[in-house]
Amino acid sequence: MEATGASRARTLVAVAVMVGVILFPIYWMIVTAFLPTSVVLSRTPPLLPPLGAMSLEAFHTALVRRPFLVWLSNTMLVSVGATALSLVISTLAGYSLSRYRSRVQEASGFILLFSKMLPGSLIVIPFFIMATRAGMIDNRLSLILANTSVGVPFATWMMKGFFDAIPREIDAAATIDGCTRLQALWHVVIPIAQPGLTAAAIYLFIVAWADFVFARTLINSPELWTLTTGLASFVGEHGVDWPGLMAAGALSMIPVFILFILLEPYLVSGMAAGAVK
Amino acid sequence: MNDRAFAFALLTPAILCVVGLVGWPMVQIVTLSFAESKGLAAISMPIRAWGLNNYISVLSDPETWDSVVTTILYVVGTIVPSFLIGLGVALLLNRQFPLRRALRCLALLPWAAPGVLVSVVFLWLFDPSYGVVNYLLRATSVSNADVGWFTNEDTALFAVILPSIWKSFPFFALTILGALQTIPEDLYEAAHTDGANSLQRFFNVTWPGIRGPAVLAIILNALWALREFDIIFATTGGGPARATETLGIRAYIEAFSYFEIGRASAIGVLTIALAALMIILARKPLQKEFF
Repeated sequence: MEATGASRARTLVAVAVMVGVILFPIYWMIVTAFLPTSVVLSRTPPLLPPLGAMSLEAFHTALVRRPFLVWLSNTMLVSVGATALSLVISTLAGYSLSRYRSRVQEASGFILLFSKMLPGSLIVIPFFIMATRAGMIDNRLSLILANTSVGVPFATWMMKGFFDAIPREIDAAATIDGCTRLQALWHVVIPIAQPGLTAAAIYLFIVAWADFVFARTLINSPELWTLTTGLASFVGEHGVDWPGLMAAGALSMIPVFILFILLEPYLVSGMAAGAVK
Repeated sequence: MNDRAFAFALLTPAILCVVGLVGWPMVQIVTLSFAESKGLAAISMPIRAWGLNNYISVLSDPETWDSVVTTILYVVGTIVPSFLIGLGVALLLNRQFPLRRALRCLALLPWAAPGVLVSVVFLWLFDPSYGVVNYLLRATSVSNADVGWFTNEDTALFAVILPSIWKSFPFFALTILGALQTIPEDLYEAAHTDGANSLQRFFNVTWPGIRGPAVLAIILNALWALREFDIIFATTGGGPARATETLGIRAYIEAFSYFEIGRASAIGVLTIALAALMIILARKPLQKEFF
């Protein structure tokens, strides 16, 4: 059934309205970020921003008066570290789960599946205790490890899905040509699975970027705060600096939104295939 | 190295990671829940006495049961609307229209927004005096009161649920959209030829095609909502007057505000038990989808 032009136009209008409603909070965040406090703190805020009043003042505040760049670099360091570590571990494990079937594989697969249902907010208590005993409170490495514990179970199942889609004959051919199994994985299978690897990396990065519970609990010193703990620290002060907070929020979101645009086509097909579940 | 050893070697880092970073913490939480040490002593000193005191104290505390009720209200209040909105969004996005790829991406964007960011944006939208929501309510003469959505005991749970829905509906939409794309077009054509109306087409063609993934998404999201931390903690911290204190938040407060590690662990174990109960109840659809 090919949709007619008129019905496509009607659908477009409906979708556009829906997107408008969904994105209103983001729109409002961006509008607030570009307006001075005097305009923002109004009983009758303008729904469309007065162009004349728009300024970059709030961004200036966020970047200069707040240690936004410190939070950003901490978040970046932790997210990149956790993504890289999780990706290596879960690529190897995903390949093993995809190519070999034994009790060990089955049990590990099930345990990985189960542990991705376990909540970060519960393991944070024992994690805090372990970090305290190890003297690793206020240490970005413990934050990387904590995010890895969340990432590995997810990414392993994602990678297994990608490897399942690559015929085994390809690895077999490579080993016959004289590759060791590890070489076959590295030189032959991984290049084919590269789009999947990218998707898994983006997914891991977005999850690590969003972490709040570990960052809030395992880090005390403000100079080691991440973006989420930084943003949360705006709230609860007397008279929240809303434009500054919204500016910091908008800036903090840019990287994940760009990555999401790259990841989205995969998510739609991948969720059905069972990979991200 | 034989195949089996190679396969095991590849798995080892993941096993170490899961055992060390998930399994061991779980053992710790269960151990601590049975430790009869007060406060933070459990962390620094070896545990000498064991018993059920933490469980007795937690289970006999009416506040725990308040939290159980709050948790159930929060989970159901988040999951049901998220599912319905996600289903609606997916059905709409699955139709043919121009700019499909871009609009689909925009509609699902909240999925990628960090929970804390969602929290601060909604705090601002729902600010009592200057929030745009109260302004719109005043402008349309719905309500003239400056409702403190997050600070009023009666509205706080509702206020916390709204950003939770906003953040979780895209997962449903993504899952259902993926499933919709696997339904062959000729099924719809056949239904059309047979004279089925759109409601009949939905229940006889669409729903059977998306049922499995949809049920699975509901279960997973319910588990995630059960332990939601970021949004509740960053908006209300469990308050006011514990109106938004779910079990997850309660465990965290016991541990890091009152330093009652034992009680916190007992609440944690109870939450895991609740999650396990949910998994057992949902065993059949889970098995069907996963194995």
